[in-house]
Amino acid sequence: MTAFLALVRKELNSLFAVPTAYVALTMVALVTALIFFDHLRIYNQVLFLYATTTMGGFSSGEIPDYINLWDTVFAPVMETLGLTLIGAIPLVTMRVFAEERSRGTDELLLATSLTPTTIVVAKFAVTFLFVTLMMAMSFIYPATAIQRGGLGLWHLTSVFVGLTLHAIALASIGLVCSAFASTQLVAAVSAWAVAFVFWDFAWIHPFVSEGVAGFLDLISLHLRYGSFAEGIVSLANVVFFLGVVLVALAIARFSFDLRRVGA
Amino acid sequence: MSVGEPIAAQARPGRGVRIEARELTRRFGSHVALDGVSLTVEPGEAFGLLGANGAGKTTFIRLVAGLLIPSEGHLEVDGISPATSPARVQARIGFVMETSRLYPEQRVRGFLRFIAGARGLSRPEAVRAVEATIERFRLAPVATRLIGNLSKGFQQRVSLAHAFLHDPPLLIVDEPTGGLDPVQQREVQEILRSLRGQRTLILCTHDLNEARKLASRVAVLREGRLIADGLTQDVLGEGAVLELFRGSDEHRV
Repeated sequence: MTAFLALVRKELNSLFAVPTAYVALTMVALVTALIFFDHLRIYNQVLFLYATTTMGGFSSGEIPDYINLWDTVFAPVMETLGLTLIGAIPLVTMRVFAEERSRGTDELLLATSLTPTTIVVAKFAVTFLFVTLMMAMSFIYPATAIQRGGLGLWHLTSVFVGLTLHAIALASIGLVCSAFASTQLVAAVSAWAVAFVFWDFAWIHPFVSEGVAGFLDLISLHLRYGSFAEGIVSLANVVFFLGVVLVALAIARFSFDLRRVGA
Repeated sequence: MSVGEPIAAQARPGRGVRIEARELTRRFGSHVALDGVSLTVEPGEAFGLLGANGAGKTTFIRLVAGLLIPSEGHLEVDGISPATSPARVQARIGFVMETSRLYPEQRVRGFLRFIAGARGLSRPEAVRAVEATIERFRLAPVATRLIGNLSKGFQQRVSLAHAFLHDPPLLIVDEPTGGLDPVQQREVQEILRSLRGQRTLILCTHDLNEARKLASRVAVLREGRLIADGLTQDVLGEGAVLELFRGSDEHRV
């Protein structure tokens, strides 16, 4: 446990010693704020139009059901935030293993009492901690929308859990890419590619059988994440995201064995 | 321990660990980095592993440290296989790699505390060990400085210090003076001299003078094969040395 905590402390210090962590935090917070306020502006304009003029068969002051805070502001913001994370999280994960390997410090760690499993778990834990912080920072505006829109605390919690699980799954994908990549750039690009592929399989539906399409939907990050955004906390979705984390942990751990025996 | 003291007198056999390699082979794809090497390093011995670049020296010590698994053959450190029980072997080893294998963004004291923690030392033990090591390796003037800002000589001292924190019975040192100026080389060699005797030392180098100064016994590798193994004065005697290295370099050219 002492060795694990020592590595966690070192990883936290290393993470905040480089500008990429701050860039990623700022990027996500900024993009969320921009998208949120832009949608809010549009929502207010539409509300004003409906309130002051007669349009689309609705008389002045009568606002149709589909013009609401949820559909006009919150849902698109969450959708865009999910995509933004695909761009931002690999910036954080790319260095975690790839930097150690390029500097040769991975062997420095392995030559201490740290086992490969401890190294992998500690690095995943610190990254998840950072990603959760990132989500908390970027969640301020959507949280305001949910509260103001009267969606309630349960919905708020559901969305935050979903967003964090989605981010953690993306971080896991990024960490696996970093564990196998020779450079940080390769780690980031491969993480973006894998995450985009797993984001949504709807585009492939016309080309595959119904069975295959159904299976691909099961592993679609977009559909799993979207369910939380709707306020539905399904055990299957939680298990799916935790499964992604476990598989990623196992693959990253395997990369150490591969290096010991590999060519 | 004085610098000029004969090597044999400084060594104290019986302490340290015993390393035994039998027909040790390691391949990287089709390249054979180590080819059927058999040798034994006795407890307390200062053992020099010589050879040109690419001869297989680093592969051998990485196998000893459990960082690689042999393709064939048998290797034991105090009766423990580094391939199957790397953690047990690593607990007995201090491994000094090249200077660049440090964290340049960390401060010297912070780095040593991290390594002490990673070695499983409790906080009070770690503080004691770090302060004693800083004093022993004369790192006090740079203890609060960033490793990346230190001279190569100091970086190498930090590297030696980190390997020594848990007082290991086996110290493996890979190219300890590579890239250092003559004054820094002398400083590092003096530190290594002072560390011998109480533990097994494996010195991996292509600097023959360094091997003469620090090792009581040497083995020479060429293209992964063991071509000489014996007392330093016998193997590195006049005339024999260049012949040992020549074949390898000519082949590489």
